[in-house]
Amino acid sequence: MSLLSVKNLRVSFDTETGRVEAVRGVSFSLGRERLGIVGESGSGKTMTGRALLRLIRPPGQIAADEMRFDGIDLLQASEKTMRSLRGPRISMVMQDPKYSLNPVMRVGAQLTEGLRLRDRLSKPAAYAKALEALIAVQIRDPERVMQAYPHELSGGMGQRVMIAMMLIPNPDLLIADEPTSALDVTVQAEVLKILDDLVRARGMGLIFISHDLRLVARFCDRVLVMYKGKIVEELAAKDLLQAKHPYTQGLLNCLPRIGGPRSMLPSLERDASWAG
Amino acid sequence: MLIEIENLSVTFTAQGKPLRAVQEVSFAVAAKSAFGLVGESGSGKSTILRAICGLAPISGGSIRIAGETIRHDRAFSRQVQMVFQDPYASLHPRHSIDRTLSEPLAIHGLPLSESRIQQALTDVGLPANFRFRYPHQLSGGQRQRVAIARALMLEPKILLLDEPTSALDASVQAETLNLLSRLRAERGLTFLMVSHDLAVIDHMCDRILVMQHGRSVESLSRQALASGQMTTAYARSLFAASADRMLPP
Repeated sequence: MSLLSVKNLRVSFDTETGRVEAVRGVSFSLGRERLGIVGESGSGKTMTGRALLRLIRPPGQIAADEMRFDGIDLLQASEKTMRSLRGPRISMVMQDPKYSLNPVMRVGAQLTEGLRLRDRLSKPAAYAKALEALIAVQIRDPERVMQAYPHELSGGMGQRVMIAMMLIPNPDLLIADEPTSALDVTVQAEVLKILDDLVRARGMGLIFISHDLRLVARFCDRVLVMYKGKIVEELAAKDLLQAKHPYTQGLLNCLPRIGGPRSMLPSLERDASWAG
Repeated sequence: MLIEIENLSVTFTAQGKPLRAVQEVSFAVAAKSAFGLVGESGSGKSTILRAICGLAPISGGSIRIAGETIRHDRAFSRQVQMVFQDPYASLHPRHSIDRTLSEPLAIHGLPLSESRIQQALTDVGLPANFRFRYPHQLSGGQRQRVAIARALMLEPKILLLDEPTSALDASVQAETLNLLSRLRAERGLTFLMVSHDLAVIDHMCDRILVMQHGRSVESLSRQALASGQMTTAYARSLFAASADRMLPP
């Protein structure tokens, strides 16, 4: 049985200038695997991730024929049920550690907050568990990091802290929204390795949202390519570099290559018919 | 050589302790060429650009432009301009594009004219009526174009580019890189560019300096990079980590 199934998901915003549809009829199912969602900014990939947790505020609206996680109907679930799902069952790593960590709280306090309030652990027990999570994401100096404020950490460290925070409750599904786009190649490789090991070791499902096609091709099992709120192509990650859809091909072609020609890079030609 | 950097060191003070961000780095950039600095975050590559602009404290060595030791005065900013990484942070949110682009002219007492601003926008491929907009009304790629237009207002000879496309999508990155290549060819600009993406550096630059922990590791020509002829282990590992950015065989 699949962990998550989504049918005809739509996210729309009523604005002064009319209705904006950010996600327009997305359907997919997910087992305990690594699913990549790629697309340019504005393609609705982040909104899809947020909609799964019902983290879209009015005037945003979520509609779907079905949105089911491990037998629970996410559309009908009460706010209380949703709150019990967010974190322990489904958690989400946000894009930018600079904006997603609380800047005026020490990392230790942020990591232990959930453990103290939700799991009602004692202070020393929560501290020990948080420290363990930092070690799991290969932070070399966890005690210093616990005492640090977010601005005292580098981007890579901040991102690892976020991953540690999301992994503490041991969720069944992790949604990672551009978890490595703020990082450089060497650190990126390390963070992906950590995510991969954790997904394998704990048998989690992973939704990996990214605009970097090459990264997704290397890291995921299956990939959804989104354009203007729709899935234009779904394929196995290993076949991504031989994609059929002109949009996916266009995204790949406009990347510079080492040793490539110095001529102008091909720009992405968009076809109105892709958006349907 | 247009830009000559010799034994440059930059030292910050963090909690009373000296932090040596750049240590004795030397390189030279020929006029009208493009030079790339690569390395992991914290390797000091951006700090070198900031030191050239006077935004980081130089603790040793020298920076010469066209044979003269730099002084951070108005004449300097007419020669050297910088484009920053994050176009969301580098434009004043409450200044219209018109004001953003007029400011350099006003500071330097140059004549302000409507057509000058319109021309600057057209040069970077933006519609002239964008000058009445504010940064929040533009996309990331459009903002980066404005930042490039601003850097070019004083018609500098040298552009310092700090990760100019790393905050942008693949398609927008391609457009921005094409814009930079075109401007360089048209105006005979010299680029000093920082990026952690070897493919971007390879596409844009003629020579490359690999940095780690504030020191220079290896200097490479573009040919040496493309054919993987590096001699140091670190440069090799960086190259290996970018294996998916190679030209398909």
